[in-house]
Amino acid sequence: MNEWLVAATVLIVALGPCLGLCFAGRPVDGLVALELSGVITTAALLVLAEGFHRQPFVDLAVVFVVLNFAGGLTFARMLERRL
Amino acid sequence: MTRELPVAILLVAGVTLIVLSALAILVMRNTLDRLHYLGPASLGTLLVAIAILVEESFSLIGDKALAVGVFAVLSGVVLNHVTARAVRVHELGGWGIQNDEQVEVEER
Repeated sequence: MNEWLVAATVLIVALGPCLGLCFAGRPVDGLVALELSGVITTAALLVLAEGFHRQPFVDLAVVFVVLNFAGGLTFARMLERRL
Repeated sequence: MTRELPVAILLVAGVTLIVLSALAILVMRNTLDRLHYLGPASLGTLLVAIAILVEESFSLIGDKALAVGVFAVLSGVVLNHVTARAVRVHELGGWGIQNDEQVEVEER
């Protein structure tokens, strides 16, 4: 297990507080936790790609960071109008 | 071999920033306080991406990692603003200044 995989493990564990806030907090708190978890997942995907020496895995991070942005905008607009 | 130290420093700094941000959103009292920690987490992602860039130089993986890091920082700013706006509309019913808010506005 190299240092990249250790970092990936730490980042995945850091998703725990976000998950807890999604369950326990209000919807707007859940939105903040969702956006933060997207940032953490992006970093974890980058680090996993480097740790496994598999270049195509970086494409997952490229796609995910764009989808996270679009998803965050969509959820924020929905929260603004409907909840 | 000389790259190991800067890579380790960048990686540890990035992961530490992200982990502290994740813990901070649990500690903060309200939503807008929590929202402040999206920025440092995005910066942590950029540091991790720069660590990969230093390790791999300007290769396919290095370039894509840098692009992801820069996009995460730029999109984080926009997401911050949109989320803060959504929180304000959600809590106050409107984006504008409320009647009972103590906000000083300069008359022109």
